[in-house]
Amino acid sequence: MYGRKAYQLVKEFTNSESGQLTGFNDDLFAQVIEDCKEHVLKLQSLLRKMQEEGSDNQTTKNADHFGALMHHLALVRNKRCLMAYMYNRAEVVQNLGWTVDLVLPVEIEEKLSVSEKEYFKSHSKTLKSYMSDLDIDLAVDMVPPKDPYIKVRVLEEIGNVVLSDQSANLTRFAILFLRRTDAEQYISQGKMEELTG
Amino acid sequence: MESGSDKGTVGSSAMDDYETLISTTDADLLKRSWRNEKASPEILQFESSLVQRSREQIQLMEETVEEFMNNGEDPLTVSLYQMDIDRTMFLLRSYLRIRLQKIEKFMFHIQKTAQLWTRLSRQEQKFAKRSIEDMKQHLDESVLSKLPDRYKSHLKQSVISEEDDMVMEPKLDAFVICRSRKFLGGLPVDDSGEENPLDMYAGDIYALRYKSIKPLVESGQLDLV
Repeated sequence: MYGRKAYQLVKEFTNSESGQLTGFNDDLFAQVIEDCKEHVLKLQSLLRKMQEEGSDNQTTKNADHFGALMHHLALVRNKRCLMAYMYNRAEVVQNLGWTVDLVLPVEIEEKLSVSEKEYFKSHSKTLKSYMSDLDIDLAVDMVPPKDPYIKVRVLEEIGNVVLSDQSANLTRFAILFLRRTDAEQYISQGKMEELTG
Repeated sequence: MESGSDKGTVGSSAMDDYETLISTTDADLLKRSWRNEKASPEILQFESSLVQRSREQIQLMEETVEEFMNNGEDPLTVSLYQMDIDRTMFLLRSYLRIRLQKIEKFMFHIQKTAQLWTRLSRQEQKFAKRSIEDMKQHLDESVLSKLPDRYKSHLKQSVISEEDDMVMEPKLDAFVICRSRKFLGGLPVDDSGEENPLDMYAGDIYALRYKSIKPLVESGQLDLV
């Protein structure tokens, strides 16, 4: 059936949890592209045949006309599916640009296609360049602040650092009060956790 | 720390607005712009002077806090000031962030709609241009270059399409919750053909289609919540 593979491709994306990526399906993707090429060959041969017979494709509605139409529609549908697959994955990749720094964790990186990795890099740079134009870091402060200080536990040895209001020795398992804005970068890197309650 | 007078959001309507105008601080204005931006499906006018003022105020406050700390001011006072800074910073960051995310989502639509394009700040336009390049490059490389000749556009399904039928657009007929800031009579809120105008008094809250109240949000007569 025409368009079946493209449908599977989109289905695969919608079945994955939102915001999560499954591995890029190279195989199926290539098959859909092959489908498209096949459609266009058949479409062209039908159009040629119609031309040779001298029938006008605006007025003549014969089997060839509808055949050509079917191939065109199948092609367009495949294209929509391919684009939807790519675009929706690209949106997830976009979101990664907000939460991870320029280097992707391995477990995410291996799920991306080559072009997607490129896209992540270039889009992250675009985002970073906006932030440096404005001299404002938009990657912190994701939740509305309640208290300027939060209680955190250090999960990984960080060492002596100068924070905005104090210099602190962040040894492993130390529990301390830090400025929320200072702590956020470490929390997003997984080096600290916030203690609540 | 003057109270704001933003011509963009407060119309030239009447003198009785003056009272509310001078008692409105930039923090309130920022909060309102942030909320509107957050709730509206499409991108709104960038509040450039408001953002500019807010940033100056934050800087001023930060200097004040530093001074307090050096003078050994009461820690509670310092912490209250700090909290104020943090909150304003959050509003500002979140405001800018929501706008960027809208640009990410609707970049092609914003680019080809002049009315939306002019709503972006200079930096946002730059961001949008680069985002579009990135996305185009990515789609070209992975999908479009592999498709047959007449199907290569990222805006149209094929060369036969008369309009750009592959561009994501914001859903303008989505419902939003809105509160009016003054009396608004005879709003045409229903496009079903039935004559059913709505009278809204100041402070009334309604859930309406964004499309039908769009001009009122843009002129600042109605707030989204």
